Parts: sequence; C-alpha cells; structure tokens
Amino acid sequence: MLETAAGDFTWDSAASIAAAVAAGRVGATHIIEATLARIRERDPLLNSFTAVTERRALARALALDEARTKGERLPPLAGVPFAVKNLFDVAGLPTLAGSKINRDLPPAARDAALIERLEAAGAILVGALNMGEYAYDFTGENIHDGPSRNPHDLDRMSGGSSGGSGSAVGGGLVPLALGSDTNGSIRVPSSLCGIFGLKPTYGRLTRARTFPFVASLDHLGPFARTTRDLALAYDAMQGFDPDDPVCADRVAQPTVPHLDKGTDGLRVAVAAGYFKGKTAEAVAAVDSVASALGANRDIDIPQAERARSAAFIITASEGASLHLNRLRTRARDYDPAVRDRLIAGAITQASLVIKAQKFRRWYREQVLKLFEKVDAILAPATPCTAPLIGQQTFKLEDVELPVRANLGLYTQPISFIGLPVVAVPVPLAPLPIAVQIIAAPWREDVGLRIAHALEAQGVVAAPRPAL
Amino acid sequence: MKRKAGRKARSARAKRPRSARAAAKTRPENSTDALVGASAQALGLTLDPAWHKSIAFNLRLILRHAALVDEFALPDDAEPAPVFHA
Repeated sequence: MLETAAGDFTWDSAASIAAAVAAGRVGATHIIEATLARIRERDPLLNSFTAVTERRALARALALDEARTKGERLPPLAGVPFAVKNLFDVAGLPTLAGSKINRDLPPAARDAALIERLEAAGAILVGALNMGEYAYDFTGENIHDGPSRNPHDLDRMSGGSSGGSGSAVGGGLVPLALGSDTNGSIRVPSSLCGIFGLKPTYGRLTRARTFPFVASLDHLGPFARTTRDLALAYDAMQGFDPDDPVCADRVAQPTVPHLDKGTDGLRVAVAAGYFKGKTAEAVAAVDSVASALGANRDIDIPQAERARSAAFIITASEGASLHLNRLRTRARDYDPAVRDRLIAGAITQASLVIKAQKFRRWYREQVLKLFEKVDAILAPATPCTAPLIGQQTFKLEDVELPVRANLGLYTQPISFIGLPVVAVPVPLAPLPIAVQIIAAPWREDVGLRIAHALEAQGVVAAPRPAL
Repeated sequence: MKRKAGRKARSARAKRPRSARAAAKTRPENSTDALVGASAQALGLTLDPAWHKSIAFNLRLILRHAALVDEFALPDDAEPAPVFHA
C-alpha cells in the first residue's frame, strides 16, 4: 500500500507507486519531487549518485500527469523513479563507467536502450549511479568518486561493481535501479545491501549504448526491493535489439503473469562442494531458503572452481584488450588497483585465454545436463556479509584471502556460462546476505517464481535500514 | 572422433614432461618480473617502475588460475565457447 498519504513513500514498491499514479491518487510530479528531495537529503550519506537528472525527470513527470488528466491510460511503470549505473549512456552526460578518463568524453547523444525501454513503460530516470572503476570491482569503492556506502552500516561496502545501484535501492532513494554483471556485479551488491537483483540469461537484455567491460561476459539487469518490481522492470526491458550483436532474437517471455504460480512441481537442489558456505551467515542463508522450499537434495556443479579460474583469465584478458590504448596513453589516470590488473591481463598469453574459452564450452555442456534433473539450483551469492570499506582481506575457513578478488567466488562460475540468476536477500541480523536462485538458460520465470514464493513466506525480504 | 575431456583424458596429461600447475609453482618470481618488463615494451606500454611489483603480483595470480584451467585435459577438437559464424 502506498505510504504517500502519510507523506513518505521511501519504502514503497515500484508496483504500488505505479498503481497510485495510474489511479490518480498521487501525481508523478509529486513522486519525483519527493524522490529528488530524498536524494538531496540522504545521498550525502550513501554517496550512491554521481549525477541527478532533475530537469528531465520533472519534465517527464509533468508529461505523465498531463496524459492522465487527459484520460490516457498510463503504462505499467508510470511515475516510478529509477536510476542507472553510470556506465549506461544518459543523453547529455558523459558515460563515466566509474572512471576519471571518461569524464573527457563528449556527452552521450542518446540514452541506453534499456533506459528508453523503461521510460517507454512510464518509469522516470532520476540519475546516474556510482560504480567501481570500469566495472573491474566487487567492493563498490571508487578512488575518484569515493565509495558508495552500505545502507545498513555506512562504514561497510555496498559491493561492486554496481555499488551505487545497491546503495540507492537498499537505502530507499529509488525503488528501482539498473546495473551490469560481468562476474557478479548485480548479485554481490544485492547480497551486501539486502535487495533483490536479476542477472538475466546472457543475450537476453540489450546492452546497446552502455560502456562495456568483458564483451563475452557482460550482462545488464535490474535491482529492486520486491520480486514483482524486478519482474515488472525485466518484462519492460525484454526484446530483440539489432544494436547489440549479442542480444538474442527471441520473443519476449513475460514473467509477471507467472509470479503467483508457486513452486509446486519445481525441482530445486542445493549446490554442493565448491558452493558450500564458508561462513555461518552464508550457510544460514542457504539453509533457510532450502528449508522453505523443501530442497533437501544436493547437486554437484562439476569443475566450478576451474570455471571461476577460467572466468578470471578471460576477464583479465578481454578487459585489458578493451583498455589497451588508454593504458598506453593515460595509465596514470586509472585507479592503480584497476590499472595493474588490466596491465597484467594485457600480458597474459593468448594460448591460455583460448584454453579458458574451450573449457568454457565443455563446462557449459556439463552444467546444462544438470537442468535435465532440476529446475533451479541454490548457492550463496557472497561468501560473507558486507566487509568494512577499505578492508583488504577476509578469512574464509581460516584462510586469509583478498576481499577485492574473492567477493565473487560464488557468482563467477555461474555468469561464466550466462545462466539466469535471481539474488534473493535473507534478512539476517545485523546484516543481510543473498542466495542465488540459478535457473536454466532463458528460464528467468523459474527463478522469479521461486523468489516470489519465498517472499510470500517471509523467508526473503529487503530489510529497511535505519537511516 | 570425439575424445572425452577431464579425468578420462588425464593419462595423456600424465605423460607430459611437466604439468602446467607444476610450471606455475616453480616459475621463479623474477621470470614474471622479466615478463612484465618485456611484454609491456612489446605492447607499447610505458610502466612506472613503482608499478612493477603490483603488476607482477596480478600476473602471477592470473597464471595460477590459468594453470588450473591448463591442466584440465580437453580433446584436440574442443571448440572455444564463442564461435564465429559467417
């Protein structure tokens, strides 16, 4: 129910905002003005926004309100404020991709395709969000813009690289945001900030007019505080786009109509071996979700550790190839942590990268066979809850490991072969952590159905922070 | 003819003079340091000497991951994941 009557819709869902705007209970202009005020008030704490598109947002809101006054039927996301990771092109802004170097680019001439699709569905862009430099990050820290902060503990990481997206949605600034996920950059911030995230099948959503990182691994997707909002946004963004050569020429498969079907008949297993939680919180989160679903069967994802290694190599090499010219001319303008990884990637021998790509095909074939026996697989999204900002290492089973490279331990082997995943937040105290619901290619509907059922049971939920 | 990958193909790997992982483990640090300098020059990258240590650390990390992949035997006819279609 919309809390607007009480003067605060900070925690309202996109669905309830759109319903209230469509019914004329509240104006889109009021929603956007209040959102902009909230960003002004709270973002100095969260540091999630790098640009606020106030004028265009108010203009779009006014247009929606005028359309409603004329009796026009409003689209499904009418008046819903959203923001995008700053690697999405926003007309009139340079596409930063978290970098200093891109500040010199001319402003984008046209919005990213997914912004256009969300706005066609009535949503209203209110700004661009902080992110790890060039998306080579799992922490949400940024040397140029400062770290985006975790809404549940401002001293902790938001997760990366879509850190601002996690922080803005988890902190109640917007009900909906977009991010990218190459190795886990939607699922890691979802886990640390306690919100829902969808990384669709590779090739499902167009990446046109966004700044790339690793072409063969890059995905885009939504963040929200409810499964229904994820599904509404996802359905609005589906569809072929010739401007992204990877975008699959498939008919859109709406998921909202299937959300309430429940989990009867779905076979769910828990990923064993490599994916067994290494901390009490990761174990507790998977156990609570598995128990609610009656998932008492373990399944082995073969060679997952090697898959993560292969993703690591391909990322380093493809990422370096993208940046080679900039590394020649502007190496000093990079975050040193990113620069040194990219240069190491540039030096990596091609024979090793091609071997990783051959392994990738073998691994995909093995994992796809598992979906003959199950419909979904559960695994932790992150090995732990949010580390402190600046923390360099953490201990997993008494082994000291670098945080930056290992927060994506459980996400990398899955995005490596493009499987769709819904990250669902388990509201543990004091900090949330997410579980991955992994489905077969093109079966986002399965993951969303399961997430929705878990939400109805109260097992997963986006906890409201005391900001 | 298709050959099976992984464990069943490991006999072929065992005959190799030196496994990839062993090579990675025994590769002296100064060989990666030398590789950083030479490769950067070949690629036209100008490195500040202060960066070498961190780049070499990251390169060793990549090579450790690469060794794990490299030691996994795949048949000669294994195709890479992205395949070009004319």
